[in-house]
Amino acid sequence: MRNGHADDIATLVEPGRVHRRVYTDPDLFELEMERIFGRAWLYVGHSSQVPQPGDYITIDLGRQPVIMVRHRDGSIKVLLNRCTHRGAKVVNERKGHAQRLTCCYHGWAFDTDGKLATVPVPEGCGEGFDKDALGLARAPRVGQYRGFVFASLAEKGPSFEDHIGPMKRNIDDLVDRAPDGELALDAGMHRYVYNGNWKLQVENVLDSYHVPFGHASTVNKQGVQFARREGDRKGATVVEAEKKQTAASWKDRKSFTVGNGHGWTSNTALDDGKRSSPAFDEYKRVLAEKVGAERAAEILTPRLHNSLIYPNMSIMGLNIHVRVIKPIAVDRTEVNIFPIRLVGAPAAMNFGNIRLLNVTHSAASFVQTDDLESFARAQKGLASRLTDWIDISRGLGAEEPDRATNATRGLATHEMVVRAQYKAWVGYMSEAA
Amino acid sequence: MALAASTRASVAASIRAEFEGFIIREALLLDERRFRDWMALFADDGTYWVPAVPDQKSPFEEASLFYDDRELMRTRIERLEHPRIHVQTPPSRTAHVVGNLVVEETDQAKGEYVVGSTFIMVEYRDDAQRLFAGRQRHRLRRHGDTFRIVQKRVDLINCDGAFEAMAVPI
Repeated sequence: MRNGHADDIATLVEPGRVHRRVYTDPDLFELEMERIFGRAWLYVGHSSQVPQPGDYITIDLGRQPVIMVRHRDGSIKVLLNRCTHRGAKVVNERKGHAQRLTCCYHGWAFDTDGKLATVPVPEGCGEGFDKDALGLARAPRVGQYRGFVFASLAEKGPSFEDHIGPMKRNIDDLVDRAPDGELALDAGMHRYVYNGNWKLQVENVLDSYHVPFGHASTVNKQGVQFARREGDRKGATVVEAEKKQTAASWKDRKSFTVGNGHGWTSNTALDDGKRSSPAFDEYKRVLAEKVGAERAAEILTPRLHNSLIYPNMSIMGLNIHVRVIKPIAVDRTEVNIFPIRLVGAPAAMNFGNIRLLNVTHSAASFVQTDDLESFARAQKGLASRLTDWIDISRGLGAEEPDRATNATRGLATHEMVVRAQYKAWVGYMSEAA
Repeated sequence: MALAASTRASVAASIRAEFEGFIIREALLLDERRFRDWMALFADDGTYWVPAVPDQKSPFEEASLFYDDRELMRTRIERLEHPRIHVQTPPSRTAHVVGNLVVEETDQAKGEYVVGSTFIMVEYRDDAQRLFAGRQRHRLRRHGDTFRIVQKRVDLINCDGAFEAMAVPI
């Protein structure tokens, strides 16, 4: 596998199953960092994280440390966080503000567009020293849609539009919920890690099959989950208590794929007619005032549960947040979850969303912790050498076109979306960079 | 004068001992997994807060690791008692040590006190042991001959780090 021949890659993925090495082989992980995270369009951050010129955040794209920074002209730059002199990481804070990005080691200072501005003791520089050639490396391609910033570390490849186009509707669904049509990811973040492969989290975000079992501990004796949205009196029915099986409404949920590994699941069935609280009612009123009653009703009709923008980001429509998946090693992954403030919504509504996200998705939450346990146990189980394949065949052959969204549709308790992710995976991995 | 001062000092010492006893008992209830008894220590308007950044100003404007009112505490405890809570199969075992106690605020009129202490909690689960440490602040309200917790705030020294799943309160 070290050479990563297309033929070898293709043998790891079959129509309804995947070889366990995809999760456990360190060489394959290295190849993923090169061929997927080294060139795919990756989610970097949101423009609201760097509102003013000089504001920056630092993150890793795959394993590449980068700085997302707002330049004087208002544009957002994605710069490699590595001094061009002797290689030190230039910015060590997770977020901050600076006129210049100055390396701690010898003091080389870079402008917020990456250009090398000043070098201490310039008289020592050699004759051919070319400041213009020594700026911080930039992500070759950066794209933005409604505040969401993506970058590709490769010069060439599918355009941003090709990549994000089919998922714009999903981003709109979230952004349009803000009365001012704008989001703010300025309410901190949740950070969790697990001893497992990054794809375990990616596959999980569109997996509705696991909920009645994986999250059994969040469901009461009547089969109903705790209330997860501001204004709800109770949560979704996921188990039929008498028959002790997955509830019919849960089984009816749909999943969708649109190529590139992207996909989404349809909304969770909740009684929206009864959804009411002072914060939610006020939010509804403000939204209707801004966009009109008809449009507000349309915006507030739940359509989406989770949307995956492959390979490293998802958006949740139920407990609104942005999730970013960061591979660390073949068996170690960090995930960051950003609460969302709907700009123009009453503060109490935003407070409610932020609070409930602690309960569902913090490292100490009721929901996420059982998923983390499942990921870690999957990684342990996949170390077994006597069974080489995992099964992802649910609903194989049952996929059908969805004309309304130009997508392929299946049941959310099927595994169509996982197969779609592996189709994209094989595409990236088979092609030498 | 000398007598009055020593009387004040002994009153201070006795209430300090009361605070210390209360906070140690609270930690022991967690270590013994007596979560319902632990929850009973909280006032009806009581909250349990573990911020996700140092010096966090508000549990409403930013993400927190925990911010439970009584209702969420109850839901959390029901889950901890659920036979199919995977992240507690096997369950955590914890040991708290509490010290460096300082009475930080006294409001005689309301009968409320803020008591700060430093803690270490060692957690063992499924072949792995990890360490939590930080400063905790209990806002206590006089309740008969004991107290009720108005807020327990736990500031972990690594609160903004990335955590593996945390299932039990600290």
